[in-house]
Amino acid sequence: MFGAGAEEDRVAAAHFLAGALFLALAGALELLRLFALRFGDLSPVSYGRVESMSNIAMMLGFLVVSLTGGIYYVVPRLTGTRLWRRELASGGLVLVSGLVFVDLLAVLLGFGGGRQPFGLPWWLHIPMLAALAIPFLVTMMTIRNRTETRSFVTLWFVIGGVTWLPLLYLAHFAGDLPFLTSLTETYSDLFFSAGFVALWVFTIGSGLFYYTLVKELDVPLASRQLAVVGFWSLGFAAAWWGVAQLVFGPGPGWLDGVAAALGLAFPIAALANAANVSLTMQGHWEETAGKPGVLSGVIGLYLGVGVAILASFGSFPSIGAVTALTAYWEAIEYAALFGVGVLLTAGLTFEALPRVSGREMRTADRPRSFNRLTVIGVGGVSMSLIAAGLVSGYSWVAGSNSAAYVDVAEGWAAGAGAAEVWLLVAFGFGIVSFLGQLAYVATVVGTLFSGRAVPQEVLVYGTEPEEGEDE
Amino acid sequence: MSDLSAAAAALGVPEPIVQRSAAARAAETGMTVDEILAAWAGGGSIEAPVPAAPSADVEAPVEEAAEEEPVTFAPSAVETPTGGPAKPGGLPAASPTAVTTTVSGKPPVLVGKADNPIAVLAGVLGLFLAVFLVGLVGPALPVDEPGARSSELPYTETAEHGRQVYQSVGCAACHTQMIRPVVADVGLGAVTLSDSNQVLGTRRFGPDLSDAGSRLSGTQLEAIVGGAGGHPALNLSADDLESLVAYLVESKAPVETPAGAAPEGGDG
Repeated sequence: MFGAGAEEDRVAAAHFLAGALFLALAGALELLRLFALRFGDLSPVSYGRVESMSNIAMMLGFLVVSLTGGIYYVVPRLTGTRLWRRELASGGLVLVSGLVFVDLLAVLLGFGGGRQPFGLPWWLHIPMLAALAIPFLVTMMTIRNRTETRSFVTLWFVIGGVTWLPLLYLAHFAGDLPFLTSLTETYSDLFFSAGFVALWVFTIGSGLFYYTLVKELDVPLASRQLAVVGFWSLGFAAAWWGVAQLVFGPGPGWLDGVAAALGLAFPIAALANAANVSLTMQGHWEETAGKPGVLSGVIGLYLGVGVAILASFGSFPSIGAVTALTAYWEAIEYAALFGVGVLLTAGLTFEALPRVSGREMRTADRPRSFNRLTVIGVGGVSMSLIAAGLVSGYSWVAGSNSAAYVDVAEGWAAGAGAAEVWLLVAFGFGIVSFLGQLAYVATVVGTLFSGRAVPQEVLVYGTEPEEGEDE
Repeated sequence: MSDLSAAAAALGVPEPIVQRSAAARAAETGMTVDEILAAWAGGGSIEAPVPAAPSADVEAPVEEAAEEEPVTFAPSAVETPTGGPAKPGGLPAASPTAVTTTVSGKPPVLVGKADNPIAVLAGVLGLFLAVFLVGLVGPALPVDEPGARSSELPYTETAEHGRQVYQSVGCAACHTQMIRPVVADVGLGAVTLSDSNQVLGTRRFGPDLSDAGSRLSGTQLEAIVGGAGGHPALNLSADDLESLVAYLVESKAPVETPAGAAPEGGDG
C-alpha cells in the first residue's frame, strides 16, 4: 500500500493516508457545527463542544498530520540525507493520531477545559506538545546531517513551520497557568489560532508548494527574493489578526493600533507567495489541466490572499467595531482551514503520492471535482458567514442607536433573526464543501489502494550517519 | 548572440537564472560556466559525477494492474530535482550498480544558495519571541491604577464550579462576557476591564452574559439552560446545573454603595 520505496517515503505516505481519514472526520464534524450554528436546539452535541471537536480533527488531525507527511517527503530530497530516526517519525504519527482521538473523547464526554480552539483540559496539552515537537526534532536533525549545502527556499519554510508550531502550542498551553487573568487566557487562545493559520498552514503549505511547483513544471522558481519576503512577512503576521479580534475589548488600547498596522504583513506575505507562483507559472498555465495538484495549490494560494486581506481588513478598529465577535471571523477561519489548508495540502499530496507510493491516480476526475467543490463550497460558506457577521454587527449598532432593542434578552432575537438566513445558506454550502473533502479522501485512499502502478521514485542517499553520530 | 542569451532563449528561462544555474552547475561538475552555457545553448547534455542509478524521471514500461505491487525503480541519487547535482560517494543502497546519470540540457530548477539553516532557525526564534512579547506578554501586564474600578466579581465556591461547567460545555463559543465601549454594546452594562474573572469569549451568537444575573432570575436561567426560549437543552447533572445557574446569577455588575454604608441585604 505504501510502496516499496525508501522508508521515509512510506512514513510520508502513512501520514497522507491518516491525514485524509482525519479530513473525512473533520469535514463531518464541521458540517455538524454549521448545522448547530443555525439549529442549535436540534444538534445532538452542543455547539461549543462540536466546534472544539471539529477544530481538533481539522487542525491537529488533518493539517498537522498531512503537512508533517509533506515535510518528511521533501526534507530528505532537499538535504541529501536520510530522514533522522524514521521510527520516531512513525511514532509521532501514532502519537498524534491517538491523542486526537483521546482529545475528541475528552471534549465529547465533558472533560474539556473550554479554551478555544480545542477546548481541552490542561493535562492533555502536555502529550500533544511532546508530539508536536517530534517533527521539529526529526527535521532539524535531518538538516544537521545534510550533504546538500545549498538551500532551496522550501527549506526555510519548513524550518520556520516546525519551529513555530510547538512554540505556539506552548504559548497556548501557558494560558492555563492559574495566575493568569481571563484576558491573558483569551489572548493566548487567539494568538494560537491565528498563529496556527499563519505560521503552520500558510508557511508549510506555501513552502511545500514551491517545491511541488518547480518539480512538476520543471521550471526554476521565479524569485528567491519574493520567497524571502513571503516567508518573513508570515512570521510578522502571526499573532496580529488573532489579538485584533478583541478590538475595543478589555486589553490595552495601544494593541488595537499595533495589530492593525502589523496585521498588514499578512496580505503582504500571501501576495508575495502568490505573485512568485504566478511568475513561475508564466507560459505553463495550460499544464495545470493535466496536473490537478498544481491547480489545487495555486487556487489555495490565491484564496490565501483573499483570507489575508479580509483578516487585515477586519483588524482595523473602525471595521472591528462592527465585525468583532461576529461570524465574520468564523468565515475567515473556515476559509483558512477548510479552503487554504486543504487546497495547499492537496497541492502537495496529489503530486507526491505517486512518487512515494509507486501508484498514480486512475483518473483526474476526482481531484478536479475536489477543486471545483472546494472552491464553490468554501467560497459559499465564507461569503454567507461574512454576510451573517455584517448583519449581526450592524444590527447591534442600529439597535443600540435606535433604542429599539439591545443585543441581550428579548432584543437579541430581532438582531439574530436577520442573520439566521445566512447561517442556513452557509450550512447549504457546507454540504458542497464536505463533498469536496470526500473527493480528496477518495483520491488519496483510491491512489494508495488501487492506483495504477508506475515507476517509483526511490532515493539513495549521500551519507547515512553512523550510529550515535547524531546524538 | 552570446551563449547566455542563446541558452536562455533555448530554455525559455530568464538570463539571470540561467547564469546562476550555470554557476552552480559549474561548481559541482568542475566545468566552466562557459562550457555549461554552450552545452545548454546547443541543447547538449552534461555528465554529472553522480554514482547513482537511473533517475526516477525515466519512464519504464509497467503493466497497468491494480493488484500488482508498485514497481520499485532503481534508486536515484539524492534528489536535486531535474538534474540537480548529487553528492559523490553515495551509498548504493538498493542497487550495487553505479551508473553515471546523464542529465538533460536544462539547468537545475531547485538552485539555492549555500546558506546556513541555523541562521534561519535563529531568525525564526527571534521573530517569534518578538511577536510573543509584544502580542501576548505586553497586553497581559497588569496596569495598577489606585482607586480604579474593578471588573473582578466575588464568585462563591459553587459559582466557581459553575464557571468550569460554563467552559466545559462550551458556552463561550456562543456567548461573550465582555462589554466594550462601542456603540454596539451600549446598554449592556458596565464596560469590562482587564482584571475580569469572567469567561470573555470571542463570539456572540447568543446574548452577552456579563450581567445575566441582573436581568434574569435563577429560575429563568435554569429554564433557558434546560431548553426554553429556543436555547439548546444542555443535559447537565443536577450538581452541574445548580453550579452553572449560580455562576450566571452571580454574574452581575457589583452594586456600588457609598463608602461606609452597608450593602443591601447585608448583615449590618
